[in-house]
Amino acid sequence: MTSRTFFFNILRFVFLIIFQVLILNHINLGGYINPYFYIYFILLLPFSTPRWMLLLLSFVLGISIDIFTNTIGLNASACLAMAFARPFIITAISSGNESLIGDTPSLRTQGIKWFLYYSIILILIHHTALFYLEVFRFSEFFATFARVLLSGVFTLMLVLISEYILNTSSK
Amino acid sequence: MRNLFLFLREHYFYFLFLLLETFSLILFFNYNEFQGSALYSVSNSVSGSVNNLSSSVTEYFSLRKTNRVLIEEMAKLHSRIPEAFYATDLNVFYKKDSVVKLEYKYISAKVISNSTNKRNNFLMINKGSLHGIENHMGVIIGNKIVGQVVNVSPHFSWAMSMLNKDSKISGKFKKNNQLVNVEWDGGSYRTGQVKEIPKHVQIVKGDTIITSGNSDIFPEGLLIGMISDFTKVQDENFNNGEIHFSTDFNSLGYIEVVVDMMRKEKEQLRDSYKSQSKNKE
Repeated sequence: MTSRTFFFNILRFVFLIIFQVLILNHINLGGYINPYFYIYFILLLPFSTPRWMLLLLSFVLGISIDIFTNTIGLNASACLAMAFARPFIITAISSGNESLIGDTPSLRTQGIKWFLYYSIILILIHHTALFYLEVFRFSEFFATFARVLLSGVFTLMLVLISEYILNTSSK
Repeated sequence: MRNLFLFLREHYFYFLFLLLETFSLILFFNYNEFQGSALYSVSNSVSGSVNNLSSSVTEYFSLRKTNRVLIEEMAKLHSRIPEAFYATDLNVFYKKDSVVKLEYKYISAKVISNSTNKRNNFLMINKGSLHGIENHMGVIIGNKIVGQVVNVSPHFSWAMSMLNKDSKISGKFKKNNQLVNVEWDGGSYRTGQVKEIPKHVQIVKGDTIITSGNSDIFPEGLLIGMISDFTKVQDENFNNGEIHFSTDFNSLGYIEVVVDMMRKEKEQLRDSYKSQSKNKE
């Protein structure tokens, strides 16, 4: 990891937490949709990040969000599940012939298909863990499932939008 | 032993994950027991000050609405002061102090963080134990109910809103005093569920549900909402209904905390009866 990517990641970390806590946590559409965009940080960590660091960073990210929402452990455990799955997802969807270009997962270098698979699967893992842990009742299984899907779509939209904006501005 | 270390080193990723995940799940499920710990007070003071900051900015956006609510409230209070009454007979309005004793006291406070989009919603209030707030006190806005205090620190309180799976409010029909329970099953923050409506009660859409005063949390007669829909369940003793909350949980600005001055007495009475009946056995 060069010092430049290191710096950008720290900046992203702080910005995403502030954005999530001050703006996104107040969004509620129809009682079902509330986006958790802060996981964009985990999505964008470089491929070369050591796996222990991946877990630790996700844990710190989740706990920081938890501190502001007073749900200590909830976001942290969802983030950990997502970070745990990330290396396996990457190997699973990058078949041998197409090697990973660049250091950071992005829509421009990896292509739309790869990036969509990557983010959809990881967002779903995170949202499923988060919402089911929060509710912790099977009697509301389908209502929770709807929340997972709808919020996931919203988070994915935010991820794609920022991918497009950031890619055009940087190059 | 060497093999064990090699094994651990090879699969350290799994073990680290399990360790951290277990740790955070323990934190999550035992959160209530951790509240006295350092983690909680740090978390409370950090989030309290950030939320204070953010609400001091967003407060300005709702000034118009806050003003309107205040004016309404003022009009209501004006109509209650003695000068507003035409004195037909002075004796009618004269009450001896020993006849009326103050039962409920209200502490006004500001909501500094609030959510409606989670399954379990809470709000943070900018007053705490220093101002006389204790656990299990009710939170109201105007004459509508909001929730109850579940934790206090010196300067802030953490209140469970009605939009929570652990919230169960004892209410009653305004028209015939039949008791029901009001809960929230998730979904829209404008509608909740009314459970355990006795079969014989004739329900009409638009029936008003008010607090029963059976719990020591809320005084009797506060607005909860109106019945917006109901189903007649066969083979059961109770019907269920949907309720449209009177409270707009998404725009809470200034709220009041209800202090029941006689709660200690009520609790003592109950406890002394319990210990009596235990002694008999």
